[in-house]
Amino acid sequence: MNVELADLTRRFGRTRAVDAVSLRAGPGVFGLLGPNGAGKTSLLRMMATVLTPTSGRMRLLGRDPGAFPQRREIRRRLGYLPQNLGYYPGFTVFEFVEYFALLKEMPPGQVSRAVAAAVERVGLGDRARAKLRTLSGGMLRRAGIAQAIVNDPELLLLDEPTAGLDPEQRVAFRALLREVGQRAAVVVSTHLVEDVGAVCAEVALMDAGRIVFHGTPAELTARGEDSGAAGDAPLERGYSAVLSASRTAAVARS
Amino acid sequence: MKDEVDLDRVWLGVAAEVWRRRPGPVERAVGRALRSPGLARALLKTPSLLLGWVIASAVVVSVGWAATLTTGTPYVPLLAPAVAGAGIAYAYGPGIDPAWELAASMAVSDRMVLLVRALAVFGLNAALGLAASAASGTAAALTFGWLVPMAAVCTLALAAATVSRSANVGVAAGLAGWALVVMGGWSATGSLVAAVTVTSLMVPYLLFAAVCGAVAWYATRIPRRTT
Repeated sequence: MNVELADLTRRFGRTRAVDAVSLRAGPGVFGLLGPNGAGKTSLLRMMATVLTPTSGRMRLLGRDPGAFPQRREIRRRLGYLPQNLGYYPGFTVFEFVEYFALLKEMPPGQVSRAVAAAVERVGLGDRARAKLRTLSGGMLRRAGIAQAIVNDPELLLLDEPTAGLDPEQRVAFRALLREVGQRAAVVVSTHLVEDVGAVCAEVALMDAGRIVFHGTPAELTARGEDSGAAGDAPLERGYSAVLSASRTAAVARS
Repeated sequence: MKDEVDLDRVWLGVAAEVWRRRPGPVERAVGRALRSPGLARALLKTPSLLLGWVIASAVVVSVGWAATLTTGTPYVPLLAPAVAGAGIAYAYGPGIDPAWELAASMAVSDRMVLLVRALAVFGLNAALGLAASAASGTAAALTFGWLVPMAAVCTLALAAATVSRSANVGVAAGLAGWALVVMGGWSATGSLVAAVTVTSLMVPYLLFAAVCGAVAWYATRIPRRTT
């Protein structure tokens, strides 16, 4: 298993952003769905080893991120696209991706070629020498994706990766995800249900820090059948039905 | 076909060669010294080592040097710790480094980046202060005169910045702490520069720097166990 989480919890003051989440994910594309504030980003940040869990256990790529040498090995094999991608405006696309390839401790002799390949894979070959400050939001997002895949990661974590991408770019991006997902675990956090339906083999739905559904997109779709839940597409109706049921149950418990 | 050329591979080789950035001599030397090209690149991207900041630091110290020459009061030893403390607080962290979150997920540890950057900023400011002090004729007792208080102010700024995860808080703590010590020394002895000339303060400065360094070290740790 590339990702093993057991009762993972993260508190910010009195708020439980992530509440006793248990998950296992192997190679393939795993979708993390949920409304804003559900805890998706906090969960992804913990998996990216940027945020420390308050409690619970986590193993990534068979290693314990709490131990420095193992955390370093995980990070060498990790690709991460944060929700808010910070960037250096004066860097070119190539320099930006190269910078993170170096920080991932890729062998220096392989860096240039790997960076060129990553830049081409996200369709930014014609803007490789353009300064980041001159790029559109969608292009910046693609530069962020390029740095995430430059080391051919075994675990790829993407937080809202399709934000700012136009429909054509989203289709190309989904193809890229399918390709990477053949040999790596790809965890995609999104609130766009159609992205999940198109590429994910498994999906978890989060609400209020908890996982309220875990299954396949087809199973999520089935939850919406005859439920009368809101939504324009079957998967959206499944999403709404699960959320509605979970919130009703939470109110009943309290 | 047997002799078919893989044009994609060829293109990637060409693109890598055409697009790549050639590191300058400083970056190459730093990379060799640190045995990490990534750490070298991270060091050269230190916000408080960028040209504008270095020029601003040099201007402040130069003003201190000019004031020292004209008034006879050694302002350089009073200014240098404040400038260095601000520089260290602005060396690394959320809100300072645009791609901090991404950098924090990298194999080159962010603690190592912080350490290397903090040492570089301290070294640069020490060199600026030494040059200004020497030029203004106050080079005597330099080490015990202000390098030790500067270390204390820098570690205070670093500790406050890492604990609060805010460079501005780090700067405020460093400047406020130093101002308190200078004003306290002034009111107690009547000398504005008592904070850097009273030798009995040096051991407390060193102890304080050690405590602040330990706090910064603790604040940047990742717990070994999560349960």
